[in-house]
Amino acid sequence: MNLEDELRAALRRDNPSPGFAERVVARAQSSARPARAIPRMMWAAAIAALLVIGFSTAYEYREMKAERASRDAVVALRIAADKLNIARERVLRRETPADTREN
Amino acid sequence: MLTGGIAATIPRVRSGEISGAMTDDPERFEELVREHQAMVFSMACRYLRNRALAEEIAQDVFLQLYRKLPSLESQDHVVHWLRWVTAHRLIDHSRHEKRRPQSPLEDAPEPASADSMSDADPMLSNMLRELVAGLPENARVVMILRYQEDLDPMDIARALDMPISTVKSHLQRSLALLRDKLSRQKGVGL
Amino acid sequence: MRRLFLIAVIAGCAAAQLPAQLLQLRITGLDGLAAKAKESTDITLDSNLLKMAGGFLAGAGKDGKDGDTIKQLLSGLKAITVRSFEFKEPGQYRLEDLEPIRVQLRTPGWSKIISSQSKDEISEIYTRMEQGKVAGFAIINAEPKELTVVAIEGSIDLKDLSKLGGLGIPSISVPGQSKDSGKKGKQE
Repeated sequence: MNLEDELRAALRRDNPSPGFAERVVARAQSSARPARAIPRMMWAAAIAALLVIGFSTAYEYREMKAERASRDAVVALRIAADKLNIARERVLRRETPADTREN
Repeated sequence: MLTGGIAATIPRVRSGEISGAMTDDPERFEELVREHQAMVFSMACRYLRNRALAEEIAQDVFLQLYRKLPSLESQDHVVHWLRWVTAHRLIDHSRHEKRRPQSPLEDAPEPASADSMSDADPMLSNMLRELVAGLPENARVVMILRYQEDLDPMDIARALDMPISTVKSHLQRSLALLRDKLSRQKGVGL
Repeated sequence: MRRLFLIAVIAGCAAAQLPAQLLQLRITGLDGLAAKAKESTDITLDSNLLKMAGGFLAGAGKDGKDGDTIKQLLSGLKAITVRSFEFKEPGQYRLEDLEPIRVQLRTPGWSKIISSQSKDEISEIYTRMEQGKVAGFAIINAEPKELTVVAIEGSIDLKDLSKLGGLGIPSISVPGQSKDSGKKGKQE
């Protein structure tokens, strides 16, 4: 027998311990489950995060709008009140003689 | 030095062997494991000389195959892919191991298996396995593919993405080394 | 002049037939003045924005001296429109610019309750009554360097409103509001 034949004999294929295939399949299935579950969970988390962001943004926008509206409303009422009082004052001034006003 | 990616190295389809895309069906996968477990495990076992570690690496290779199955197109493609991944896994593993201190248990030689001892001299076989396991990484893989898988140099070159001249050179130098060592250790002239 | 008469006739006919809601005063014809003005105020608040404003002020919690009055006033309002312009020099606007508004205020439903007119100053207050209550209120105040028109829809107590005047700075606490927040752009 020459060296190459001896090598073929020495390096002949050998089988792993019994149950190797079952163990591999079990590991493959257990590792596959979470791998498939993760994207679903990630989708759910992403959707939940988007909803939270969406709602909070909408809420903040509404709050900002309400704050600005309240500021404008107060300013508008102030202007209206000022001009109302100016008009009243002018009418009063016109109707009251100058000497009476001075007293 | 092994270079290149799987896509570049593994022949996609061989004529007449197309069986359609592999599926990740567990039953089909189990069949594939049974069919190729001896090849993958033996490559690892001869390379590492450690059955437990060889099983661990073989399991990892098959788990990688399970994830890869949908993109593999034929049986032939699966075999080539397994050889390529196993070879690279083993080389990566031994390079990684070189960088960390080893425990004595990890160096324990593989026990001789009954079927590998049928015709040959058990002592000589064991010595040859030891000598092969002591070869440099690339040369060791080349020798395993040549004498365990019975691949010709051209197929080894293709499987390892290595120039054929390098494969031939590894084979010649390894055989010469083994002859030399055998003759020196035991006085065996082959 | 003929055009204005025509507008008045159409507006009058329309007013006689249209529901009270559609009698809301529209402040038109003043758009070009903002470019000439040193400062301008343009506020338009519809019923939705007024509800939001009322809700916000109620939630703000810190009521100033006028807080209750303002909330009370806002609760009855349906719309507020303010256009106010302050000019660097006199003569930047013409009294004719006010005609499209005054034409609407001459239609049935509206009554002039205060009118003061001098050489270069006009102050006019109009109200629109519905079932014995004030349902609309308008102010035109024209001075050489200032022009203000206010239109308010909804029930409003003029006594309460007049209480707010004269301070210049709103005493209600509105978060983020500066003292000169009256000088600003359009709300909507």
